[in-house]
Amino acid sequence: MEGLKELYDAIVTGNAKSAKALTENALAEGVDPQVLIDKYMIPAMDEVGRLFEANEYYVPELLISARAMKASLQLIRPLLTAKGSEPQGRVAIGTVKGDLHDIGKNLVSAMLEGGGFEVIDLGVDVPPEKFIAAIQEKKATVVAMSALLTTTMLSMKTTIDALQNAGVRNRVKIMIGGAAVTQRYADEIGADGFSDNANSAVALARRLVAAQA
Amino acid sequence: MQEMSGGHGMTIHERVRIHLEPLGEIFEVDRETPLKDFLFDHGVEFPCGGLGICSGCKVRVLAGSLPVTTEQEEMLTPAELRDGWRLACSCGADEDLTLELAQWEAPVLTDETPFQFTPREGLGVAVDLGTTTIAAQLLDLRTGQVLAVQTALNEQARYGADIMNRVLFAMNEGEASTLASLIRKQIGEMIAGLIFPAKPVRRTDRLRADVVNVVIVGNTAMHHLFCGIDIEPLSHYPFDALNDGLQLFLSRDLDWGIPGDPPVRFLPCIGGFVGSDILAGVMAVRMHESEPLISLVDLGTNGEIVIGNRQKMLCASTAAGPAFEGARIGMGMRAATGAISEVKISGEKFRCHVLGNVQPRGICGSGLVDAAASALDLGLIAESGRLANGGAPISLCPPVVISQADIRELQLAKGAIATGFRILLNRLGATPEDISRLHLAGAFGNYINIYSARRIGLLTLPPSRIHPAGNTALLGAKLALFMPDDEAFSRVARTITHIPLSADLEFQELFAGEMRFPSASPSGF
Repeated sequence: MEGLKELYDAIVTGNAKSAKALTENALAEGVDPQVLIDKYMIPAMDEVGRLFEANEYYVPELLISARAMKASLQLIRPLLTAKGSEPQGRVAIGTVKGDLHDIGKNLVSAMLEGGGFEVIDLGVDVPPEKFIAAIQEKKATVVAMSALLTTTMLSMKTTIDALQNAGVRNRVKIMIGGAAVTQRYADEIGADGFSDNANSAVALARRLVAAQA
Repeated sequence: MQEMSGGHGMTIHERVRIHLEPLGEIFEVDRETPLKDFLFDHGVEFPCGGLGICSGCKVRVLAGSLPVTTEQEEMLTPAELRDGWRLACSCGADEDLTLELAQWEAPVLTDETPFQFTPREGLGVAVDLGTTTIAAQLLDLRTGQVLAVQTALNEQARYGADIMNRVLFAMNEGEASTLASLIRKQIGEMIAGLIFPAKPVRRTDRLRADVVNVVIVGNTAMHHLFCGIDIEPLSHYPFDALNDGLQLFLSRDLDWGIPGDPPVRFLPCIGGFVGSDILAGVMAVRMHESEPLISLVDLGTNGEIVIGNRQKMLCASTAAGPAFEGARIGMGMRAATGAISEVKISGEKFRCHVLGNVQPRGICGSGLVDAAASALDLGLIAESGRLANGGAPISLCPPVVISQADIRELQLAKGAIATGFRILLNRLGATPEDISRLHLAGAFGNYINIYSARRIGLLTLPPSRIHPAGNTALLGAKLALFMPDDEAFSRVARTITHIPLSADLEFQELFAGEMRFPSASPSGF
């Protein structure tokens, strides 16, 4: 599996074309898809996160690495579903109602996928009902909300209240993020965690899921 | 407020003495007065409106003491706290204090550009109502001559320096009318100052005729907060204003008491947050009459871009972030004394120009753009934005450095503008070569070095096509004073289409590309 080190490199350097080709080859040769994820993709995205943390990578590099990772994951995902293997956790993610700025959300979403989570991306301007449906129907165990603006941040509280009223609040851990969000705000509205960047969001999600077990 | 009761029911307010550096101002206030209440009058802005969620209003205690609260601990580093930095918004004056301000009043840009007009009788007043600053001019409508100028910081800014924080404040019960009264009163006083100056230099000239016309321009939030229109729809997607059309008042409706009771017009908005300041800018650069494509770019916290000609005009606003105004930059400051405003390379070294020829204490937007351009040329910054030397800060001129985080902020700001520009061009089916002139509006556009702007990839047109245009909002408002009918403004506003960038599917992909730095300045056409 010497050639698979190249898959790791393709993701770290953000080469989507070669990530896809290498994954196709590996699968054709009968490599276990779970091994591809555990041994190559997760470590690659961890490295991307480390480079980001060390300030060597920034938003553009994160975006292209995420794209390479997704190209590979798209091939692997159906095989895993067929085998019925369970992900680390299921995260329903979206920008809250009234907010349309989704670059931060997309980065977190990609890093979570790269970190071995199943991500249910609800998109932008997501009303509370959609988060509730993701918990009830898709069995999400973590809800991740993002808001860029101080005005739309208020929808996070509305969403948490709606989860409470729908009786699903205790089924999930809630994490929030976005330019205007602070730890203090997270505490104030009763969220379980706050992260100010895409990389630490993965560590946060892992902690939250571990606390659920 | 602490009060001491005297023996006969008399109340004495204890006073404390405040000394502000580097302004050198000394005055007294009542003990326990919140710092916010008096610092604003001395030019200190409260970017988040005093919520304690940014550190923009920080001041340094040079003498006396201010307690460290939990808010302070959350927003400031232990080193800053040790050095005496505090958030002004969460402190009161409990004793005599000497404070160093991290920011103070910057000059407000007005306009003296000559323009063509058809003379009419009387005097007119043009007002550019900005989120941060206000500029007003009194004109003789027979000669087009500017008779008097007034500038000020927008008093609403104490309730939130940027638009979204202002909107957030206005959504609290009753506060929209607080803001409306505040701004109406302030502009009323500025106009009174134009007509009845404290020192009557040319008073007789000015009073020979009545004011017949007042025109105000501003972004959509300023429009709503002045006119008393519900601002809630501007707080969230899809940012559709209830009524962003031309608003007509009589001077007496606003309690202004201007002789002759002239009509007051707030010009119509374009769409989203793009308001009549940009509409006025479009009229000032005559885009609506131009045959070839031209562009108007206002580089501020909300960077606004318009591209078009007499047939079709598209506009967009980008949340460029405050990097161009020196905010969120480690040693960033406004273009004031002590700011590095220009950086050049001499030999292999940086040569910095410091405003006021004093020891440098920070860097303003134009200095930052220059510094990045020079550092790119010296190979100290990679195209990805990564600093060479393992990310160690670049020393410009001691003690001023630029850090990796500063360059990242700059990448976000310039990337957002460049992406907006590209998306509008794509929608028009045009290329940069098709743009015959690009007008850079606003204070920053006046000071930025065009070669540096090209080097960092903020602008790509050849220098010969880029023109600093000054305060085009104020110039456009003056032109509007001479326009015969209201339909004229609305007609121009209707020909401009607002493109919401965050809804554009290409945005993320293009933004990722535009955040990078080019390997060299783009070549001319």
